[in-house]
Amino acid sequence: MQGSLRGHDDRRVVIIGGGPAGLTAAYELCKAGWKALVLEKDNTVGGLARTVNYKGYHFDIGGHRFFTKVKLIEELWHEILGEDLLRCRRLSRIYYNKRFFFYPFRTSNALFGLGILNSMLILLSYLKAQLFPEKPEETFEQWVSNRFGKRLYRIFFKTYTEKVWGIPCSEIRAEWAAQRIKGLSLLTAIKNTLFAHKKSRNADVIKTLIDSFYYPKLGPGMMWEKMAKRVEEMGGTVFLGADVQRIMLKDSRVSSVEVNLNGMIKTIGGTHFISSMPIRELIHKLEPSPPEEVTIAASNLKYRDFLTVVLIVNRKEVFPDNWIYIHDPEVKVGRVQNFKNWSPYMVPDQNKTCLGLEYFCFEGDSLWTMPDEELIRLGQKELEMLGLIDASEVEDGTVFRMPKAYPVYDSTYKESLSTIRRFLSSIENLQLVGRNGMHKYNNQDHSMLTAILAARNIMGANYDLWQVNEEKEYLEETVEGREQTDIKLLASTQPKVPTRITEKDKATIPDEIIVKAFAKLDKLAFAVALGMVASLFFCILNLILLIKGDKEAIRMFQLINQYFIGYSVTPEGVAIGTIHSFLWGFMWGWLFAYVRNLILAFLIYKARRRAESMSLKDLLDQI
Amino acid sequence: MENYNDKKLLTAVAMLNAKMLGFTLGILLGLTVFIATNWLILKGGHITPDGKYVVGPHLQLLSQFFIGYRVSFLGSIIGFAYGFIVGTIAGALIGWIYNRIVEIKDKLTA
Repeated sequence: MQGSLRGHDDRRVVIIGGGPAGLTAAYELCKAGWKALVLEKDNTVGGLARTVNYKGYHFDIGGHRFFTKVKLIEELWHEILGEDLLRCRRLSRIYYNKRFFFYPFRTSNALFGLGILNSMLILLSYLKAQLFPEKPEETFEQWVSNRFGKRLYRIFFKTYTEKVWGIPCSEIRAEWAAQRIKGLSLLTAIKNTLFAHKKSRNADVIKTLIDSFYYPKLGPGMMWEKMAKRVEEMGGTVFLGADVQRIMLKDSRVSSVEVNLNGMIKTIGGTHFISSMPIRELIHKLEPSPPEEVTIAASNLKYRDFLTVVLIVNRKEVFPDNWIYIHDPEVKVGRVQNFKNWSPYMVPDQNKTCLGLEYFCFEGDSLWTMPDEELIRLGQKELEMLGLIDASEVEDGTVFRMPKAYPVYDSTYKESLSTIRRFLSSIENLQLVGRNGMHKYNNQDHSMLTAILAARNIMGANYDLWQVNEEKEYLEETVEGREQTDIKLLASTQPKVPTRITEKDKATIPDEIIVKAFAKLDKLAFAVALGMVASLFFCILNLILLIKGDKEAIRMFQLINQYFIGYSVTPEGVAIGTIHSFLWGFMWGWLFAYVRNLILAFLIYKARRRAESMSLKDLLDQI
Repeated sequence: MENYNDKKLLTAVAMLNAKMLGFTLGILLGLTVFIATNWLILKGGHITPDGKYVVGPHLQLLSQFFIGYRVSFLGSIIGFAYGFIVGTIAGALIGWIYNRIVEIKDKLTA
C-alpha cells in the first residue's frame, strides 16, 4: 500500500493504527470527503483482527466472529465484503477428559460425558450452591460457584479462565462476571417468562446470534484489506510499517506525530488525531510528557498476550467445531481453532486441516520466549495427549505471537484509566478508539462503532465514546436495547420526525401493568380487612338466628363451638364467636397474602435466573 | 440488575379494586351456592323414619338467612342471587378496608 504525504489541506485526520477501529474511522471520514491518513506499525492491516497467510493456509489471531446487534456495523460489513461474507453455523464445545460438552450444558450430553455418579455430585453441589450460596460474593470463583455449583465451576470454568487470564479465579473480581447481568431488566425478564410461548423476534435474534455468525471467505483480514483499499480509492492514505515514535503536543492540542516510516523519520501534521494504539504506549509517546501521575497510571495498565501455534494436519476432518475450549489442566493450550470449519477457503487443500492452538501468556514469560520449533513440538504433544490427533499426522507448523491481545481488568485499571482520561480530555483534537486504544475488552463491532462515532465527532457531532457499551446495553440487551442504542447514539443529531406506532409497540405490555400485577399485597392490611368482614358477617348471621330463634338451626350452628371455644348462640357467645371469626379471618388473610407474595416473588426470581442464564450463554466466549 | 422500574416492581404494594373484588367474590359465592344446591339435588335425598323425603337438610339451613331459598332448582337460582349479593358486599368491604389501611400506613411512613 502506497501513500502520499503531499496534497493535504488544512483538514487532515491522522489515525494511529490500522486495525478495525482505525480503518473504520478512515473509511467513514473518506466517505464524507475528509482526508484521512492511517499509520499502521505492522506490515499488514487488521490489527488483532488480521488474517495471516502461511503457505496458502489462512489463520486468525483468535477466531473473529462477525456478529453484531448494531445494524450500522452489519451493513458496513456487507458493504465492504459483499458476497465474500459467508454465513457460518456455530459449533464450539468444551473438550474435557477426551469428551465434547455443549455449552450451555445439555442434560443428556453432560450425563453421558461426565458419568452418572459425577453428574449426581454436580447436581448436589448445584443444589447446595442454591440453598447456601457463598456470601459475600466477591470473587469470580464465588460468583460462578453460586450459580453453577462448585463442582461444575471446577470442571468447566476454573481451568479455562485461569489459562486465559493467568490469574487464579479466587483473585478475579466478581463484578467482571456480574457486569454481564448488570444491564438486564427484571421487568423484561418477567415479560419474557410470562410470554415465552410467543416466539418473539427478540428471541430469534438472540438465538441466531448464538447459533451462527458471518465470516469473510478468507478470514477477517480480508475485510480490513478491502477496507484499506477502499480508503485509498477514496483519497485516503494507509501507511504500513509506520511506527509512531512521538506525539507532539502544543497548546492542548496534538500538533503532529513523528513516525519511523520503514526506517525514515517523518513528521506528520494534522488537524485531528484518532489513536487506537495501546493507551500505555500513547501516554509514553506524548511530548512534552504528561504529569507523572498520568505516566504512572499508564504504566499500571496491563495486557495479556497471546500466541498461536498453527499446525497443518494431514487429515480431512479432526473435529466438526469451529473451535473447542480445552479445559484439561494437564495441557497449556486454551483453545483450538479449526479454521477450515470457519470457511473452507481458509485451507488450500480440503484433505488437510489447519489447527490453531491458542496459548495465553505474558510477553517475556517462558511460553512467549520459547523457540518456535519447541512450541510446535509442544502443540503436537498436547494434541496427542488430548487424543485429538496423532503427532505424526502434523506436516508443518508455524507460530504467531500477538502482544497486547487483551487489556487486563485488574484491581487498579479503573483508577489508572480515569486518571488518564482526565488528562486526555484536555487535549482537544485527540480521540481514542478500539480495544487497546480505550483499554476496553470489547468486540470488533464495538471498536468499529466507536470509530464511526469518533469520525462523526470530527464532522461536528458530540458523542461520548466512553459511554458506548458502558452499561452493556448495546450488545447484551434485548432487541429494544439494541434499537435504543442504535437510535440513542445516532438520533441526537438527527432531525425529529413523527413516527407511527408499530405493531410491536402495540404488542408491548406497559411496564406499569407488570408492576401492578406483581405488586405485593400488604399482609397486615389484607388480614385486618378479612378479619373485620368475617367477624361482621358472623355477627349479623348470629343476630338473625337469635331473633328468629329456630332451635334446629341454632343447634346446628352451635357445632361451630368445636372450633370457636366459648361460642354459643347467645348474646355473650356471639361476642366470643365474633372475636374468634376475626382471628380466623385475620389468620387466613395474612396467610393468603403471604403465599401470594411468595409465589410472585418466586416467579420474579425464576424470571431473573432465566434472564441471567440467557445472558451467560456465551460466558465462555467472553472469558 | 436493578433499574428504576425494577425497584418499583420490587417495592410496590398492591391496591385492590374494591368493585372488582366484590364482583368476583359475588360470582364465586353465588356459583358455590348454585352448584352445591344442584349437586345435592342430583345426588338425591333420603327418606326419614317419619316417611319424609329430605334433600340436603343442612344446606336448607341457609333459608334462615336467605329468605325464599330451598334445596331445589328454583332455590339454587335464588341462592345464587343471595350468594352474589353477600359475596359482592363482602368483597367490596374487604377491598375498601384494605385500601384504607394501606393508605393510612403510607401516610404514616411518608
